[in-house]
Amino acid sequence: MSASVRISPAALGVILVLLVIQLYLFETVLGAVLDGQRGVLPGAFGVSLALTGIALFLAFRSTVQHRRKD
Amino acid sequence: MTWWRRAFPLELAEEGHFSRREFARFLALVSAGFTTGIGFLWLRKAPLEGASDPEPGPVEHPVAVGMAADLKPGESRLFKFRDAHDACILLRTGKGELKAYRQICTHLGCAVRFKADRLECPCHLGFFETDRGFPVQGPPSRPLAAIALEERSDGSLWAVGELPKPTLEPPGQRAACPRDQAGQDPAEVKA
Repeated sequence: MSASVRISPAALGVILVLLVIQLYLFETVLGAVLDGQRGVLPGAFGVSLALTGIALFLAFRSTVQHRRKD
Repeated sequence: MTWWRRAFPLELAEEGHFSRREFARFLALVSAGFTTGIGFLWLRKAPLEGASDPEPGPVEHPVAVGMAADLKPGESRLFKFRDAHDACILLRTGKGELKAYRQICTHLGCAVRFKADRLECPCHLGFFETDRGFPVQGPPSRPLAAIALEERSDGSLWAVGELPKPTLEPPGQRAACPRDQAGQDPAEVKA
């Protein structure tokens, strides 16, 4: 018996959801900036950075072990 | 083996080379790209719309756009402002006021025209009101860039600079935007 380390489907799903949120956030921020509302940028950058941190953590660290027969 | 692999027994040499982990890393890096984009917008000081929409203020060389009396209510005239590519439109509203706007629709950059006391973008049927250039119908969401006019003692009319965007004005004055008043009584909006 040996163990392979994979990313779990749940983590992959969470990363996909985070990416959709990022896309919506970026589109909203771009519209706000074009309207001259640059005050949203620091907050949006902080939120985006946090989402990216979570996504990177899940992508590089999240694991689930599957046992398989050799 | 899954049923569809048995049903469609295609064997690709590279089929196992893109793992779920690699896909997740790719998505995370795309997410980081969005963050970088927002950071770039934050650090960038120049206006996003570039040189076609310069900072408000007077210009060094005002441009003569004709005699004010020549333009009757409901009429418009095109002129070039900063350079040969900077198309602008001068108009006299139904109320008799002279207004000038850059002739570039804020949606996708088509040339707007003056029609029925509104500025109309024929490409996607966007409409702007002539008082401050706010969009009132169609896809555009940002007001037109307005040009400052000066009428001199001899009756000549000059384009002298850029007006600040209406959205940058104090909140008390923003109520003049027709979209801000959408929920109010139409009679109040007219008044």
